[in-house]
Amino acid sequence: MRLPFAEWLPHQRWYGGRNRVIEAAEPIAVTPLREDLDHVVLGVRYADGGDERYQVVVGWDRRPMEEFQAVATIGSDEGHTAYDALYDESAARSLLALIASGAEKGDVRFVPEPGAELPVEAAARVVDAEQSNTSVIFAGGFAPDVPGAPGAAILKVFRRVLPGVNPDLELNRALGRAGSAHAARLLGAIEGTLEDRPVSLGMVTAYFENAAEGWAMALASARDLYAEADLRADEVGGDLADESYRLGEAVASVHHTLAEALGTSMAPPPIGEMAARLSAAVETVPELARWAAAAQATFEAAGTAEVPVQRIHGDLHLGQVLRTPETWLLIDFEGEPGQPMAARRRSDSVLRDVAGILRSYEYAAFQLLVGEPPDEQLAYRAREWIDRNTSAFCDGYASTAGFDPREQTALLAAYELDKAVYEAAYEARHRPSWSWIPLQSIARLLQGAARAH
Amino acid sequence: MTPTSQHDPAEGSHVTGGVVEHPVATDFVQARVLPADRTWFQRAVFYEVLVRAFFDVNADGSGDMKGLIRRLDYLEWLGVDCLWLPPFYDSPLRDGGYDIRDFYKVLPEFGTVDDFVELLDAAHRRGIRVITDLVMNHTSDSHPWFQESRRDPAGPYGDYYVWSETDQRYSDARVIFVDTEESNWTFDPVRRQFYWHRFFSHQPDLNYANPTVQQEMLNVIRFWLDLGIDGFRLDAVPYLFEAEGTNCENLPETHEFLKQCRKVVDDEYPGRVLLAEANQWPADVVAYFGDTSLGGDECHMAFHFPLMPRIFMAVRRESRIPISEILDQTPAIPANCQWGIFLRNHDELTLEMVTDEERDYMYSEYAKDPRMRANVGIRRRLASLLDNDRNQIELFTALLLSLPGSPVLYYGDEIGMGDNIWLGDRDGVRTPMQWTPDRNAGFSTANPGRVYVPPNQDAVYGYQAVNVEAQRDSSATLLNWTRTMLAIRRRHESFAVGSFHDLGGSNPSVLAFLREAGDDVVLCVNNLSRFPQPIELNLQHWAGYQPVEMTGRVMFPRIGQLPYLLTLPGHGFYWFRLSAPEEDR
Repeated sequence: MRLPFAEWLPHQRWYGGRNRVIEAAEPIAVTPLREDLDHVVLGVRYADGGDERYQVVVGWDRRPMEEFQAVATIGSDEGHTAYDALYDESAARSLLALIASGAEKGDVRFVPEPGAELPVEAAARVVDAEQSNTSVIFAGGFAPDVPGAPGAAILKVFRRVLPGVNPDLELNRALGRAGSAHAARLLGAIEGTLEDRPVSLGMVTAYFENAAEGWAMALASARDLYAEADLRADEVGGDLADESYRLGEAVASVHHTLAEALGTSMAPPPIGEMAARLSAAVETVPELARWAAAAQATFEAAGTAEVPVQRIHGDLHLGQVLRTPETWLLIDFEGEPGQPMAARRRSDSVLRDVAGILRSYEYAAFQLLVGEPPDEQLAYRAREWIDRNTSAFCDGYASTAGFDPREQTALLAAYELDKAVYEAAYEARHRPSWSWIPLQSIARLLQGAARAH
Repeated sequence: MTPTSQHDPAEGSHVTGGVVEHPVATDFVQARVLPADRTWFQRAVFYEVLVRAFFDVNADGSGDMKGLIRRLDYLEWLGVDCLWLPPFYDSPLRDGGYDIRDFYKVLPEFGTVDDFVELLDAAHRRGIRVITDLVMNHTSDSHPWFQESRRDPAGPYGDYYVWSETDQRYSDARVIFVDTEESNWTFDPVRRQFYWHRFFSHQPDLNYANPTVQQEMLNVIRFWLDLGIDGFRLDAVPYLFEAEGTNCENLPETHEFLKQCRKVVDDEYPGRVLLAEANQWPADVVAYFGDTSLGGDECHMAFHFPLMPRIFMAVRRESRIPISEILDQTPAIPANCQWGIFLRNHDELTLEMVTDEERDYMYSEYAKDPRMRANVGIRRRLASLLDNDRNQIELFTALLLSLPGSPVLYYGDEIGMGDNIWLGDRDGVRTPMQWTPDRNAGFSTANPGRVYVPPNQDAVYGYQAVNVEAQRDSSATLLNWTRTMLAIRRRHESFAVGSFHDLGGSNPSVLAFLREAGDDVVLCVNNLSRFPQPIELNLQHWAGYQPVEMTGRVMFPRIGQLPYLLTLPGHGFYWFRLSAPEEDR
């Protein structure tokens, strides 16, 4: 197979090497799935000496619909044109059918979950908005629901191929088998062996077409508050506190299920990592230097005594939760982005997830004010909205978990600060106009800590 | 009521020697009937009108049947298909007419049975149907059946009501009106026994375990159907029978009796409808449609109670979740049935009408929003609930006309009438219809002091500003907008019987859904937020179709494979017809 992958890759949204120079991009494993369909793992070698693996399903001479031709056309080889087959409805359906039948093709295994029914007849559509994956949604169209027909599903193909089990697959499998109501049920997976090591290639879960993202709901609520001249956060119609409470219950329930399924252990708080992240961030964001000592003190206040740890979501924020008509769901259990697989699967305190949501409320409230001159009144309202929703979330969490995360003040503060430091570095690199949000939070967290000491 | 041998049927029932005699339909002229159509109610727009409040012909200060006849041209012009009249039977009016003293007589201030037949005939001439409330569960304690029952326990009516030596039977049945009643039993000093009542103590429950009572009520139904009425809203149906050890609601015997009523309708009066008022959750209400495999063999229609507050909540929260949630929990109904949906009516949504768990749920869902809590029960009119915001009134009305079910409009809401909160809580939304800016709002020529309640004179909602005359001739008014939307709705089978598919989408403030019936495909997109919003919809299934906006027949860009982007103004909505691609284009 001789295809111009090196020219094609940089145009793909999920490609992570855009700032690097490709030396070579060639298939290192090719598994025929169908006469006109090959499963390909690309090896990409960079001029800087590094390398990466990417997954592409190549469809031969199967032109996708016009809208997708530019992005899906890879090139030609021996008179045949190769396309990224995920954009082709029939190829996508074939993948689903392979999973449903439990097929094994060379080193690629298609694994249905016990008892799962896959919507192999449903219309498929690709979602190419994700940063590191490509998803295909299989939904039944809009004909009247056929009783007994399988529900909609989403196939997520992991583009970066990393050795080891992907935590998204691993945790969804654990949650699905435990019958968790707060995760999209896992229906099947694509797994394989590459260079003698297990790899996760893709997964299918139930899909909720009629779900709303927590982030968008939070923005709608905060927006509603800001439009009122003198109403308090608990007085406006768009109050989100009830939903925040229920979200807290859902997160606690997922934590409980993960602990039951995958066990718990004891470990000291990861203060060393937090400190290392801080020093790296100070190099990117020099303004952080004046907070470094206070931040270090906050981390150390978390102590060295062991605390209970378990598998957690790892990158929880309001964009990773969905409100379906019935309940809240947690999605994307991939762990902290940009980390090696081992780090993404590491056990940690549930407080890291709690801190992630608390930080996300702060982002939701202040994001609406980006690009505007500072307004003391609105900032006050934002704070009120954040406090109301974080306490509702913690109340809901406590009601299910049996302990209140706010009682572990020092540890929770350390996780919140750690997340804010990460955000400060991220914003400085990607969205400088948002930098004030984490910086302001860091100042608040540390001033609060100073007062408490 | 005098015990004469020659009794005037217009005077209603009378008692002769301890026997209550009722008029029969052949005592009266009968109205022309509309062609027997067994599905008309699935596509009908209902209009609830209070006879008392609509138009007063005889200048006695109270609306009457003849007044309603005089205003039928207006209702025909507006485009409604069926009038729903709350009870107009003879009554001491201790419960708004739901305490019936004589099933066979019209409340004298409203007119006579002959007047009612004239109304039916005049409405039918215009293609408009008429249904009314029938209270099956109980009567007024002044009903001659009850008077005879208490006087003569061994007589023919002794067993018409539920009597007991003790007040301890059926102790698992909750008290519904907890504010006014302590028990479902009240001691009658005449008969020296307790009688059973699920509602007020002046409304004794009829004893349906007595076959004679069942026969009596079937006679009542036949009487009005013979005169030409198009159906009944059956009031408080879950409570007809009692059984020890149960909560005395939704009992199998109750369903059996409703099946019997339905059989009478199907066999003798095809095309007439029974509409159940069962203030329960949709999953429980579906039982009142009867057997799905038979297409439904109890009530043709039932009110969908929880949808209304959720529409208010969704717009307040700027989130479609409350609406999506309740529709998701609403089970499918038999093929020949239909929901009745409404925004406002003469009642409020009572939290007494639910079980304890449901009440907790209702409080946590509905009453957390402080603005809603200020109006628990929502005893206000649509316009004033929405601060007279025209955009919101239109959005709510568009939702009412497009969500699954037959919409029920409440008189006066089409012109944006307000309520008078200074009147008693029920009268506040029952003020006279505002026809003109003249004296008594053009409702009556009586001395203003004689009008049953004063017409609304509020600076914003009063009759001088809000009236039919002022709105009828201007195309930009709420009245003409409503009329236009009713006309558009009538053009599309999907709004009546189409399947419902909630599209979800990227923006939680936007409720988008498809209604589909055969080739007729309708896309409704509603912005529940007061701010402008974008929405990306996944419409790939309809790739190649062209959305055509219905009010202006405006062509929107053809649907392709990519998400379909729309932007909506605050509280804006679109109704699209999806036009199929044609091969030769």
